[in-house]
Amino acid sequence: MRKLLASLTAVLFLSVSAIAQTSVTGKVTDLNSKLPLSGASVVVKGTNVGTVTGLDGSFSITLPAKSNVLVVSFLGYSVQEITAKSGSVDIALSTSDVKTLNEVVVTGYGSKIKKDLTGNIARIKGKEIENMPVASVDAALQGKAAGVFVNSQSGKLGQAATVRIRGNSSISASSQPLYVVDGVPITTNDQSTYGGDMSPLTDINSNDIESIEVLKDASAGAIYGSRAANGVILITTKRGNSGKTSVSANYQAGSSKETRRVEFLNSEQYAELFFRATKYTDDFYGTPLNDPSSETTFAKDWMAYHSFDKWLTDPKASYDWQDQAFQKGNFQQGDVQISGGNDKTKFFGSLQYFDQKGIIVGNDLKRITGRLNLDHKAKEWLNLGFTMSLARTTSRRLPDDNQFSNPLQSIAFMPVTPFTDPNTGLPTGAPPGDLNVGLYYNPRLTVDYAKFTQEIFRNFSNVYATAKILPGLTFQSEFGVDILSQNEEGYFQTQTVRNTTTAVRGSGSNAAAFILNYNTNNYFNYTRDFGKHNIDATVGMQYQQSSSKYNSTSGTDFPSNSYRKIASAATKSGGSSSQSDFSFVSQFARVNYKFNDRFLATASIRRDGSSRFGENERYGIFPSASAGWILSEEKFIQNIKAISFLKLRASYGQVGNAEIGNFPQLGLFSGAAGYAGNAGQSPTQIGNPDLKWETTDQVDVGLDFGLFSGRITGELDYYEKKTSGLLLNVNIPATTGFNTQTKNVGKLENKGYEVVLNTQNFIGKFKWNTTINFANNKGKVVDIKGQIIEGGISSMNRVMEGQPIGVFYAVQYAGVDPANGDALFYKNISGTGGQLDKGTVNPAGFNQAQRVVVGDPNPDYIIGFTNNFSYKGFDLSVFFNGVIGNQINIYGMGRYSSANFRFEDNQTVDQVNAWTTPGQKTDIPQARWLFNNGAQISSRYIVDGSYARLRTVTLGYNVPLKALKRLKIDRLRVYASALNLLTLTDYPYWDPEVNADSFDSNIAKGNDFYTPPQPKTIVFGINIGL
Amino acid sequence: MKKYITSILIIAALATGCEKKLEIAPTQSIDQNLALLTEGDVLVTLIGAYDGLQSVAAYGGDIMLLNELIGNRDDIRFTGTFAPLSDAWRLEMTASNTYGRDTWAQCYNTINRCNNVLSALDKITSSPATKSRVEGEALFIRATLYFELVRLYAKTWGDGTNTSNPGVPLVTTPTKSITEADYKPRSSVADVYAMVIADLTKSESLLPASNTIYAKKSAAAAILSRVALMQGDYVAARDAANRVITTGGHTLSTTVGANWYTFINNAGNSPSEYIFSMKVTTQDGANDLNTFFGINAGAGTAGRGDCKIYPAHLAKYEAGDARGAYFSVVGGNNYTRKHLDRYGNVSIVRLAEMYLTRAEANFRLGTAVGQSPLLDVNAIRTRATLPALPTVDLNAILKERYLETAFEGNRLPDIKRTRGMQSGVAWNSPKLIMPIPQREMDVNAKLVQNEGY
Repeated sequence: MRKLLASLTAVLFLSVSAIAQTSVTGKVTDLNSKLPLSGASVVVKGTNVGTVTGLDGSFSITLPAKSNVLVVSFLGYSVQEITAKSGSVDIALSTSDVKTLNEVVVTGYGSKIKKDLTGNIARIKGKEIENMPVASVDAALQGKAAGVFVNSQSGKLGQAATVRIRGNSSISASSQPLYVVDGVPITTNDQSTYGGDMSPLTDINSNDIESIEVLKDASAGAIYGSRAANGVILITTKRGNSGKTSVSANYQAGSSKETRRVEFLNSEQYAELFFRATKYTDDFYGTPLNDPSSETTFAKDWMAYHSFDKWLTDPKASYDWQDQAFQKGNFQQGDVQISGGNDKTKFFGSLQYFDQKGIIVGNDLKRITGRLNLDHKAKEWLNLGFTMSLARTTSRRLPDDNQFSNPLQSIAFMPVTPFTDPNTGLPTGAPPGDLNVGLYYNPRLTVDYAKFTQEIFRNFSNVYATAKILPGLTFQSEFGVDILSQNEEGYFQTQTVRNTTTAVRGSGSNAAAFILNYNTNNYFNYTRDFGKHNIDATVGMQYQQSSSKYNSTSGTDFPSNSYRKIASAATKSGGSSSQSDFSFVSQFARVNYKFNDRFLATASIRRDGSSRFGENERYGIFPSASAGWILSEEKFIQNIKAISFLKLRASYGQVGNAEIGNFPQLGLFSGAAGYAGNAGQSPTQIGNPDLKWETTDQVDVGLDFGLFSGRITGELDYYEKKTSGLLLNVNIPATTGFNTQTKNVGKLENKGYEVVLNTQNFIGKFKWNTTINFANNKGKVVDIKGQIIEGGISSMNRVMEGQPIGVFYAVQYAGVDPANGDALFYKNISGTGGQLDKGTVNPAGFNQAQRVVVGDPNPDYIIGFTNNFSYKGFDLSVFFNGVIGNQINIYGMGRYSSANFRFEDNQTVDQVNAWTTPGQKTDIPQARWLFNNGAQISSRYIVDGSYARLRTVTLGYNVPLKALKRLKIDRLRVYASALNLLTLTDYPYWDPEVNADSFDSNIAKGNDFYTPPQPKTIVFGINIGL
Repeated sequence: MKKYITSILIIAALATGCEKKLEIAPTQSIDQNLALLTEGDVLVTLIGAYDGLQSVAAYGGDIMLLNELIGNRDDIRFTGTFAPLSDAWRLEMTASNTYGRDTWAQCYNTINRCNNVLSALDKITSSPATKSRVEGEALFIRATLYFELVRLYAKTWGDGTNTSNPGVPLVTTPTKSITEADYKPRSSVADVYAMVIADLTKSESLLPASNTIYAKKSAAAAILSRVALMQGDYVAARDAANRVITTGGHTLSTTVGANWYTFINNAGNSPSEYIFSMKVTTQDGANDLNTFFGINAGAGTAGRGDCKIYPAHLAKYEAGDARGAYFSVVGGNNYTRKHLDRYGNVSIVRLAEMYLTRAEANFRLGTAVGQSPLLDVNAIRTRATLPALPTVDLNAILKERYLETAFEGNRLPDIKRTRGMQSGVAWNSPKLIMPIPQREMDVNAKLVQNEGY
């Protein structure tokens, strides 16, 4: 009791002493340009008291009694210490020596100064991705951090990107990182029922983001335990600053087109090749070419039919169906941000309107977001606050790539087929015209006569309270929700009946998803200096529950195309409701120790329990340890003038992957097995009570350095990640009634290195700095217990021991036999001593040829390369990114469109070089109608996917302050920016940054299936600060 | 200190309270141990077996489609871009053919559903009749699928030694966990036929004479007649067909066209002529024959139009044959009208075939059980608005069978059992036998691959 009284007295004393504190306000600017620096850190030396400058560079801070020295730091500038008195103080920073080292980095349940980190955390400032004309944050991360691979998959708006941190560490479970927004692990799995995966990150306004931290190694990630094996991405939103209320408004608009087109045959080339192919077949069967049953007659009739007989009179008329698939996209975005506050209360608010029309016909996305973040100091010992963001995203979605309604599939159309039916003036294939004209369904009809829209309301909200209990000891309690409410509505008019066969009299659908995901974090933080020792400890718990509910209805037989709601459907053709839940209960602890500002150590541990794990394996424990040594604090390094900073660090930890689905451990029967209107059930899953998370052990060693007074800084890292207990859908004989059983078997590893290099090439009036990040990752499947795991187009992606995940496994193409035009394939039969028989077979012997590894969809190197220039009010930023050493499978289109007239699909223009005469050297086999001469699954369709891309280039001009004073505004900036302006690649189809959504899985990467390319977007913008 | 204690209490309360929240049961599915406890459970599992049977990879159409494409290159020009089907049509299949893989897996998936039903018959206590019916239906579905599997994936009955030719693995118990015993070798062709015959015979005895849209006595007899015909056991084939005709309660449709367009013209009901069929509704079921043989040729019709019928086939019908006119011409190509209905029921076996089976068997045996071969053939000819024949021989009977059941999946088995030829390939060519799916070969070392793959 006495102790309690004593501490209460201490608390009282603290509150009293607060009254004696002084308040300082001020403004931080660039020494040269005099422009305000927003986001600079202002900290009272030797304390935790600190703030960040607002948009106009202003700050306000309350000095504790014992100190009056302010430490002011900002990325790229020298740290400045000044002694402040009450009142106003202006600070001008000069560009810098040791940049980034004093930056505060968010670590998960806490934060830390970059210099003191022992794990690998990449920090991306919100500024680096602001105003990018992409809807979703994950796509914006591309090339920004070493070892973070981002592939946007396709140019469809809001499409989910593939994000891999340090390689792919799972085969069957998710390989996407855990996303945590302001402390809440958010819902990131796709909820759409139509088309490819939609990224649930689309509902975040990326201009609200203060910083993104990527926890890459196990030491950084282990505090997220069973959910950190794929890395953790922490998104922290902007908060208010005390001082003047600043208002910033931004507007940008622009337009986009496809990055590239592919050249196809025109009508004359097409007919010539068609006749060449049918002549072969007629000759083969001994049919006279003019016989009514000959293939040549068929070809003539077929071209006449599919051109409304136009081809008979005008064989030169030619139509590039890409004109029907692509459109000029446009883009506009308006933002208003307000921030400000006083000592007690600070706020940040924003509104954004985002409107994009895609480059593929029938694709658009609109989003409106609002946010309010509030922090309030209720008592000297108690801080409270909340964040709330609301978003409404509506988009008109495209079908998945493997649908005839995918606009790009119309490139298969004969070039003789006109866009418009001359008899009706309507799009080809639209009734009352002939529905069957057009080799396939005309996707234009789905654009004109159908609509599939998705509307999402998303609410991220979070409340917190932080109590200072004793000196150095705080307790934080947070409660957050992520509510996702989605409605999808589709209506297909009768005109689309050739594709949507249910739409005889119209077909409609409506589906809803409602996901309530809530989370609470409760933890203590304790910080204390004991002489040269510093300890910083965290202990706490987290509980998360997510509940997803779905329902859908569909109907057919509408009175007319004017009725589009299911209420009007005479036949309610389907209806469903379902639910899926999961929960996690976790406890965690972490200790950071620092000695004499040079020796650093961190240890953490987390215990996770989850409803997803089997009866016998309900809890997992995930430990980590790491250490660092700041060598530049040592005399023997300080003597070396060139070295301004040097730190060695090493870490080890164990993390898990719990993204294994919600009930993978149970033997299940499902009720979805009705017949002819009667309910039925059937076994759907074979159980496994021992099922648990996948475990990844990771070692990381790193070196952080600064040279020549920080003109050159960088980081080098080497890591090894070993994943075991891989969750595999182990193939079992289908004769059991099941195809697979889920088991924790298998091992894989990823090894790699990462290099980050920042240089300041010019400082002074003309500034030029360069940032390069470069990473190499080698993945290898170590053991999959002999399983055959395949996926992708024609099951060509395969998981094989000793190889990276998802290598392309196919027969090796050996070119064309010059003697007869046969396609040739290497036998590759293993002989004695493992020698492969490099003899060849023609199509008749194709079954003899053995498959080998013919490519790898995983890049060897991923690179980001940024150059920033500034001179007076001008600034220029040029950002390249690229991948090297990966292959792409084009069999999806190639088997039809680059297949020397295996089918009557229009062909890529190179196919005119198909073999014709003995002795001819070509890589394209003879055209043989209805014969498979080289269109077999082979390495003919595996091509290099390396590319370098001018991802963004931005040129801006800041109107000088003098001119602004008269206008009474703080800042005026105009800029022009381009996305994907230039792509350097040998890739033969549209875009090498590709992965067909219809086939996408962990192992099915690098597939192209008429996949829309990335947009090339140019925008102009203006930014005003008040 | 109070704050400290309060915070500790908050954490402790949350930590202990939340542990219980880890017990979450699935909402859509149920644990297998809870799935077959009552009679009702067994009955819905039987419905689940029909659902499996109706999958596109099985009797939703692919079994018939594969039998037509592999067996009928002479009549069908397959132009579609579905490469696995195109390969089948060109007799260039590889072991990784996805249709071969999926049909195999779907048949066994459905067999497992049947085995679940058969393992829980003791739960049926309401009446012996119900128990017999359920057992009969499950045995019927299982035996029928084994018969389809052995015809597609193994050598023809009588091509070499049936007792040593590998058939397909026989699984007769439900799979509840995976053990070494689940890695089964192929049973011999003879063993598979023996089990099929035993199951169908028992099924015929157990099934009721009428059973709405589900398998009834006549269905088991009809498949038995097919099995016997495949074996050249004409007595058994004749007698089984005769049982269907005389006691099955089926009647021939009055016109050729009345057998089709079940959804558009017949409210989704199968005609009396159908002995067994899969019912398609707007909500459930699919007709993959429609997908590939069908085309847009009027309201309610649909399809990819991939199977174009050569003019040469049409020339085989006599003038005035209603069946010869039963084609739609779209874009200069002929499409059979049997499969145009988007929601048309999928006919598995119909009465006309029984007449022709009885005629053929009687003719070969020199008997006239039930009816003379001539009158049986003429019954079918008359329905097709053709004049009655004065006499009949085996070729006439087989031709009638070929034209009557064209594009319904009988072509390949008929070529094989009559030792015929197709597109220059003899009945016993390995090219007419589907490969054991590569996936199965990879996972089960006890399987042997068919010749040529």
